[in-house]
Amino acid sequence: MQHKERFDRELKKGSAELLILSLVEARARHGYELGRLIEARSQGALSFRVASLYPLLYRLERRGWIAGRWVEKAGERRRRYYQLTAAGRKVLAEQRSGWRAFVRAVNAIVEGEHA
Amino acid sequence: MPEWRAAVRQRLAALGLRPEREAEIVEELSQHLEDRCAALCAALGEEAAERAALAELDELAVASGEELAGTPAAGLAAAPGKDLARAPGAGAGAAAGRDLAGTAGRPPRAAEPGLAAALRAVESKRRERPALGAPRRASWRRLDLDVRYAVRALARQRGFTVVVTLTLALTLGATTAMFTVVDGVLLRAFPYPRIDRIVALSETTRHGDSMSVSWPNYVDWRDHNDVFESIGVFRGQTANLSGGDRPERLDASLASASLFQVLGLPAELGRSFGAAEDRPATERVALISDRLWRGRFAADPAVVGRVLDLDGEPHRVIGVMPAAMRFPSRSTDVWLPLGEFVDSFPKDRGNHPGLAALARLEPGVSVALARAHMDLLARQIERRNPDTNYDHTIAVDPFYEQTVSGVRPALLTLLGAVACVLLVGCANLANLMLARAEARRREIAVRTALGASRASIVQQLLAESVLLALLGGALGTALAAWCVRRFVASDPAGLPRIDLVGIDSRVLVFTILLALVVGLLFGLVPALHAAAGGSATALQEAGRGAGGGRGRLRSALVVAEVTLAFVLLAGAGLLIRSFARLLDVDPGFAPARVMTARFTLPAARYREQARWLAFHDELLRRVQSLPGVEVAALSSAVPMAGGAAESGVMAEGQPIGPHGPGTECMFETGTPGYLRAMGIRLLRGRAFTEHDRETSPPVAIVEEALVRKLFPGGDGLGKRIAFEASGQSLKEMKPIYREIVGVVRHVRHFGLTAEPPYLQLYVPLRQLPLWMQDRRPSMALVVRTALSPERLSAAMRRTMAALDPEIPLFGLQTMRAAIGQQTEQPRLSASLLAGFAGLAGLLAVLGIYGVLSCWVAERRHEIGVRMALGAGRAQVLRLVLGKGMRLTAAGLALGLGAALAASLALRTLLFGVGPHDPAVFALVTVLLAVAALAACYFPGRGASRLDPREALLYQ
Repeated sequence: MQHKERFDRELKKGSAELLILSLVEARARHGYELGRLIEARSQGALSFRVASLYPLLYRLERRGWIAGRWVEKAGERRRRYYQLTAAGRKVLAEQRSGWRAFVRAVNAIVEGEHA
Repeated sequence: MPEWRAAVRQRLAALGLRPEREAEIVEELSQHLEDRCAALCAALGEEAAERAALAELDELAVASGEELAGTPAAGLAAAPGKDLARAPGAGAGAAAGRDLAGTAGRPPRAAEPGLAAALRAVESKRRERPALGAPRRASWRRLDLDVRYAVRALARQRGFTVVVTLTLALTLGATTAMFTVVDGVLLRAFPYPRIDRIVALSETTRHGDSMSVSWPNYVDWRDHNDVFESIGVFRGQTANLSGGDRPERLDASLASASLFQVLGLPAELGRSFGAAEDRPATERVALISDRLWRGRFAADPAVVGRVLDLDGEPHRVIGVMPAAMRFPSRSTDVWLPLGEFVDSFPKDRGNHPGLAALARLEPGVSVALARAHMDLLARQIERRNPDTNYDHTIAVDPFYEQTVSGVRPALLTLLGAVACVLLVGCANLANLMLARAEARRREIAVRTALGASRASIVQQLLAESVLLALLGGALGTALAAWCVRRFVASDPAGLPRIDLVGIDSRVLVFTILLALVVGLLFGLVPALHAAAGGSATALQEAGRGAGGGRGRLRSALVVAEVTLAFVLLAGAGLLIRSFARLLDVDPGFAPARVMTARFTLPAARYREQARWLAFHDELLRRVQSLPGVEVAALSSAVPMAGGAAESGVMAEGQPIGPHGPGTECMFETGTPGYLRAMGIRLLRGRAFTEHDRETSPPVAIVEEALVRKLFPGGDGLGKRIAFEASGQSLKEMKPIYREIVGVVRHVRHFGLTAEPPYLQLYVPLRQLPLWMQDRRPSMALVVRTALSPERLSAAMRRTMAALDPEIPLFGLQTMRAAIGQQTEQPRLSASLLAGFAGLAGLLAVLGIYGVLSCWVAERRHEIGVRMALGAGRAQVLRLVLGKGMRLTAAGLALGLGAALAASLALRTLLFGVGPHDPAVFALVTVLLAVAALAACYFPGRGASRLDPREALLYQ
């Protein structure tokens, strides 16, 4: 349990922004959906709770990487949807390639032990 | 279901976010928690799920750890988070017990929870960000809300809205229309570059009598000055354009090449005159106007080089002047070069052939310096030519001043008047708004109690008044556009550039700004008043009457309205009285049923005098036989049209002074029927007859003032006078004597208000004066008819065309119309000012009525008490009338003082009436007092008919 928490936290610290930006790349999503998707796609390995998710969203919004707006859909209450901005798209591309390089480097070391 | 919103709000409380932002976060996070709780519910059961969701709210914000460390605020407030953030590994123990999945919820911690700490880092930065986007958006949103609210409020009270909008439309419309005219005539830049450097030069005596420039004097001015860059000379005249479908009489001007340098306008096609055109040449040339070019030549660029038949002589067009060239008059269509006429100018300095001069100052030379210099030059010329230039100097007047000075007083007076009307309108509307704010005190009090700030209430009320003002301004602009179009179409005489006047972007900007200012003006004070005072007292007071301060303000506004209305009515009264005096002026002839028309026989084809005279005889014979013609006559001058020939006149045997005969006269020549046709009364003697011919003794008819001057005590008949002499100089001059055969009344030739002191005399056409033999005058056909004179004009044109199709008949007008032109500007000023004054008076009276009605409504209770205690209806009526008339009296007293001062500004516009005419002031006082009394009567009658029981119950 302790292990998982530390892993989670460390990874999240470095990659949280990348996760959010990636998820809103294709379409706008609301906060709860983002939290749920992260948890589901990482099969529970990663989770964002309300207290960390929203400050992160607001920070990204403040930097102008994503833009939130209230959307009212038929039969639903209004929700705040976040959308990738042009600036966010650029950042996402950089972070993504940085991340890939990082993973490749780590893999080269980690996988090397097994080889 | 827990109160998610409350839970979130509680955690945000310490952050002190903007309410809008806080609400947003609360909504978003509580939604999240609700969804989360619903998701957990299936696995954990409702209660545990709720606790788990709440616990997540207080989880440490891991991802934003580095941010937390970076902000001092977070560092101070979020002690546990801070530790963790600085050393994630070291702090792990503290968080170790917490289940990341949040299934085992714990109570929220007492210290600042993770959410608040994390948000503080983000949101505090959000607040610190330079306030550009968001706050501005917020204030726009506020404004948007205010405007929507105002629209709804105004739509609810349609009657109020309509009254206010109409008042504003009338006052703003009048102001816009006047501004449009003043702007177009006075303010807008003239097309001539640096018009402030252009001056008009004229010869005057040192007593101020002005005359046209003699040619040798002009040459001296031109050659012996170093204050002007260039001096141009010109003379307005006419030219008959023939060839083509029909002959046309054009306004033309003689112009030296330098005139175009002075004005600074180049030709738009071809070239203007150069030095060569100032000298006599075999080929005649001309410049034409843009209007003639487009109208007669379809803007054909090949017009340059074409030959026009002007006055029977071929003239080659060398250039087209731009539309901006409107000199000497806006109707000038042809400019002819100096060279064509220079040989015909008399070389005698005492002869003034109608020339005028315009000059451009050298850089750095002031008008005063130019005046001093030209005066010195005039003295030198006078020393060398004591006979002709005795007592003469040179007037140097700024051209712009000369152009607009005639109309400026009237225009500025009217603009001032319309501004006063606008102020009265504003006062009236401020009063209405005050009354309305009074009625809305409860609404405002409620809003104040609910936390609306004073500023927001003022802003809200201002939004209403500005909205009303803009609405009124829009309507007013439409009204003004209509008025200005009609005004310009009526082609009012004497207003330079009036044909160019119209509503344009400049005027629109003025009107929008004015409407905004007006909206603030009549809205601000009532809004401040309405927003003043605590909400509690306002709620208590709301049902009752107004405080004393408000009542005093409304009274003061009414007094101001009456004051302004008095000033305007007094001004209008003075102008109307002055106009009536003008109509009373005896023109010296009988204008009814008289038609006149002018024509000029071209010197080229009618050079011999016999031919010239024969044409006139035949024309007269044919016109005389037209149906409806009572008398037809010819004359070289007609009343009200100025221009007759001038000369000195002396009685036979009278010694001649060193500077010629001291009495100036103007002479004209006419056929025997002229006095009868024009309706000039013969006092003594006889009119001319067919027997007054070249061969018979020379005769003259003179005005009675001439007899009084030259033959004091006698009737003048049979005496001889001379106004001409044969011979070139005074010494060799032989007077040409004529016998006085008739004496007539003075006839107004130069207008109703001013008449130069020339004595008038007439000679028979068959005994043409020497001066006219050299330079044949253009003649006027004068017809007195039994029918309406307008119906004759077509027949007159046909007659002329049958006789000589090349000669156009121009200036057809009835003598009534000629007098009408004289009275047009005073009539216009008087009627416009009367209209403005009437509007102001009406608004002021409505103001009195409104204030008294409110006053009575607020005092129903008091009046009821008075009546219950035995006051009769008459006493109540007196109470109300007394209140109203006290206000009126204050307004009248102030108005009297203000009008006495203001009417001095009207002095130049008045004719035959003083600026402090007691009759006018008395009449205005009575008029306003009676109107005010009527306005007071209705609220008073209402008050006196109150049922005391009802009034006492009324709270």
